Amino acid sequence: MPNYYRPTTRADALAALAAAGEGARPLVGGTDLLVGLRHHTLEPELLVDLKGVTDLPEPIVVTDDGVRIGPTLTLGELVAHPVVRGWFPALVEAALTVGSVAIRNRASLVANSCNASPAADTAPPLLVHDARVVISSQEGDRTAALEEFFLGPRRTLCGPGELVTRLDLPRPEEGSGSAFRRLTRRRGVDLATVSVAARIDADGHVVLGLGAVGPRPLRTEPSAAVDPADEAGVDRVLDEQLEIASPISDVRGSREYRLAMLRVLAKRAVLAAADRRHPREMAS
Amino acid sequence: MTEAPERTVEPFDLPEDPGPRGQVGRPVLRYGGGDRTSGAQRFLADLSFPGALQVALVTIPVGCADILGVDATAARAIPGVVDVVTAADLPSPMPRFGVSHQDRPVLAVERVNYHGEPVAAVVAETLDAAQAAARAVRVDYRELPGAYTLDAALAPGAHLVQDPSIRPGDPAAATNVLEDALYIWGDVAAEEARTAVVVENVYTFPMVTHFPIEPGGTVAVPTDQGGLDVYSPVQHPYLLQRTLASVLGLPLNQVRVFAPDPGGGFGGKQNPKIEPLLAFLALRTRRTCRLVLSLEETFQSMRRAGCRMTARTGFTQNGELTFHQVDADFQIGAYADVAPRVMGKGSYVAAGPYRIPGVRIAARAVMTNTTPSTAFRGFGSPQVAWALESQLDAGARRLGLDGLEIRRRNLVAKGEAFVRGASEATADGEWHQSLEKAAELLGWDQPLAPNRGRGIAVGIKPGATSGLSQSLVRLLCDGSAIVYAGTSDMGQGARTLWQQIVSDELGTPLDQVSVVSGDTGTVPFDLQTSASRSTVFMGSAVLEACRDVRQRVLDLYAESTGVPADQLSERRGTLVTPEGELSLPEAARKALGSLRGEFIGQGTRRLRGKGNHPLGGDAAFYEFNATAIEVEVDRETGELLLTKHVTVSDVGTELNPLQVVSQDEGAAIMGLGHSQMEQLLLDEHGRIRNLGALDYRIPTFKDVPVELITGAVENHDGPGPYGSKGISEGALLCTAGALGAAVAQATGVVIRDLPLTPERVWAAIQTAGTGRHE
Repeated sequence: MPNYYRPTTRADALAALAAAGEGARPLVGGTDLLVGLRHHTLEPELLVDLKGVTDLPEPIVVTDDGVRIGPTLTLGELVAHPVVRGWFPALVEAALTVGSVAIRNRASLVANSCNASPAADTAPPLLVHDARVVISSQEGDRTAALEEFFLGPRRTLCGPGELVTRLDLPRPEEGSGSAFRRLTRRRGVDLATVSVAARIDADGHVVLGLGAVGPRPLRTEPSAAVDPADEAGVDRVLDEQLEIASPISDVRGSREYRLAMLRVLAKRAVLAAADRRHPREMAS
Repeated sequence: MTEAPERTVEPFDLPEDPGPRGQVGRPVLRYGGGDRTSGAQRFLADLSFPGALQVALVTIPVGCADILGVDATAARAIPGVVDVVTAADLPSPMPRFGVSHQDRPVLAVERVNYHGEPVAAVVAETLDAAQAAARAVRVDYRELPGAYTLDAALAPGAHLVQDPSIRPGDPAAATNVLEDALYIWGDVAAEEARTAVVVENVYTFPMVTHFPIEPGGTVAVPTDQGGLDVYSPVQHPYLLQRTLASVLGLPLNQVRVFAPDPGGGFGGKQNPKIEPLLAFLALRTRRTCRLVLSLEETFQSMRRAGCRMTARTGFTQNGELTFHQVDADFQIGAYADVAPRVMGKGSYVAAGPYRIPGVRIAARAVMTNTTPSTAFRGFGSPQVAWALESQLDAGARRLGLDGLEIRRRNLVAKGEAFVRGASEATADGEWHQSLEKAAELLGWDQPLAPNRGRGIAVGIKPGATSGLSQSLVRLLCDGSAIVYAGTSDMGQGARTLWQQIVSDELGTPLDQVSVVSGDTGTVPFDLQTSASRSTVFMGSAVLEACRDVRQRVLDLYAESTGVPADQLSERRGTLVTPEGELSLPEAARKALGSLRGEFIGQGTRRLRGKGNHPLGGDAAFYEFNATAIEVEVDRETGELLLTKHVTVSDVGTELNPLQVVSQDEGAAIMGLGHSQMEQLLLDEHGRIRNLGALDYRIPTFKDVPVELITGAVENHDGPGPYGSKGISEGALLCTAGALGAAVAQATGVVIRDLPLTPERVWAAIQTAGTGRHE
């Protein structure tokens, strides 16, 4: 069994992580970590519990430019936050599909991102909302776009001795909209077979975030402008954008099904995001 | 997935006045239900055994292999490890056990026959040490080409799952067919000659696991007398006692089984599995040995037989069934358990509750290198009903009839035979009433919205064909009562019924009736808690024990007061004397006098089997259910939304309407599991690919139909107390058939393989769209 350490300062936490190197694991909600411990797929020597640290960034700070999220913000807190609900509807929709109420009351958005599951529900909307992370160590801080942060299954830029201390979401441009859709094998508590987040700006440029269709969550480049009412145009944009998907066949679904569903859900997400561009919709 | 609309949950309406019917018939709240919902109830894993040794099992990551050697050197070196036990440490030849075939070894001997079969057991002072040591045991093995599918098991030259030496004298010993069953009546060829429409199709039903919320486990405590106290949350404590006594060579009184309430059983906790191993470990170490299974280990110890059925069914132009032929191969596991009986009893009703002049049913129990399959709610009926009910709908579509009409035309009337020939079975209920009620509650004739479809199906299941339940009821001097009844209460609420019966029969207030169960040392014999038998069997025994108490009260009252016994009479809750009526507790108090004491009544319900009957006897009753489902299909994704799901069971008498509803709802949702999402998937090494709660899907409350409606038909025509029947399995018997028909109507596509996952529905729609589908 690993040792458990509950530091009260950021410096102590980073020192402990640096000293233990590969053998250390930060702990917040534990919703992924404890499963790994139980099944011995993870066998760390040290758990560094961040919930007692007093000088980490606040769970959530709203500025005129966007939202800054600290490591201890839970998904439950995230989905209840009025600014997040107004600015990032795709993220709220996605977070509401993670696990169950009990899981969401424990799980941390930042830590869940660090787990780097290719099927993480919150990753696609964070990608389309241009999230950036702050990676801290005893040497100092560095920042990276979330898209660069995800390297592969369970692999991120965050190395030994490092800790993601913040996740920043820029305020969406006026007149843009976002939405999230996913497919599961059942309605309650399930992992995504396929997930899609879509953002569309006032001019009709579309960005997609894709989950469970590649070795890591994927983000598309902004598309050419498209009118959502032009079905053929939307189809053309999606055909181009979805080429980056490379799903595998596994117990949750075949490659063929995943590719087909990606297309269906992407279209639904784009159309729903487009509907939300109207200010009245944004408020809801 | 899209969100289902919110379900409206209506509070159950409790009548304010119990009324003349007393407690029986009222929606009395569950005995012990408060503790169960608050978490206060203590399951096996919650029981404290100070100083107990912890046990961990050693397995290998393939489904079939020869064991070449076990090296426990590293494991034994781990601090706290007390013992590492392999087959070599147990008696030779290895003791084997089983309900019909004594084929299951206490530990794997020389060969592993399914993924998860224990090769060795580690005993240690702590669970961490035991688990670390179990991982440190090195098992040298050579993987064999196991028979993991029906096709592989039935192929010429297939790997034999069971060594033929275990089946001496069995002509089929050199095959993987363990047992078969053949039921024939009428002249199929002659019937076919007058047939207008024949439908022939192949259906499959998946392997599914019980998934009790409590995984279970065993604690074995050696006694000072050389015997054992064994704690295990089993459905059949007396069977476990007998099995352990037999394997260990001990008299029954030296083996005491404590059976804490199982946290869900569904048939999976009927037969002994890991208990004999724990017993040997406890006797060997002379210490208490404890093993609480993980959910994954539970998956690897119980499942329902998968089934492949080829069915040919004939109809007249009017939709009357003329013949039905079905070949059913049940995919059982690596050991027999009770699977051959599941095959035989399930296939006995493979022609359903219908009037069919010509029938030929041929079924086989085919062994594979997979988790031993065992009893599971429905006991073979859901498999055969899937094929038969789908055939009815296939015929109906060809004839331009709807699902309700074709069943109306074929369902037997009360007293009419649906199994013919030497071992005839006749309808013991007004089953048409359930069919009509289900259709009415669904709104069968209402217009359908786009992308929606409706299906209706029926199912039957034979109840117990033999049985024995014994009960004691003690009426104490203050009028309170204690019932001793060996039925395991695993969530079905059996104890609540005993409470209700005793309260009415003895006049004791409901909350002053307590129930003792789960201890072979103090509670009289009960054969089994299975086949929805307890209401009928134990209920009758409790009722008889109450009447025995009343007679004893009358006799002692006569003796104590000098009133001649022939001037006294008794009835429910009352002693009638020449001076007037006395409540039974009051009469008992007077009769007992200043010495106090108590009355002890005994009741027995025995059903002897018939030696020449293929089931070992006539069923005590049949469970009959009609299920009707309305579904909405997302044609782009294949997702199903059940907008309405109705189940109606023929219950005889509702002893507790609340429990009838909860059993029916539970069964209906469980039926949706194997119909929509549940399936055990194996890889080429025979390993379960979706081992555990992450990828083995069962319905959650968000998956429950938007409207779930339970109706019951009461005609007071059952063999149990007050005309009751067993009811706990009915609502899952034909879920798949109703859902399959609804999906077919909504999509125009017929699917014959379960479960109807979104991907499978989508793929079928795609195939139909390309014109490749029939």
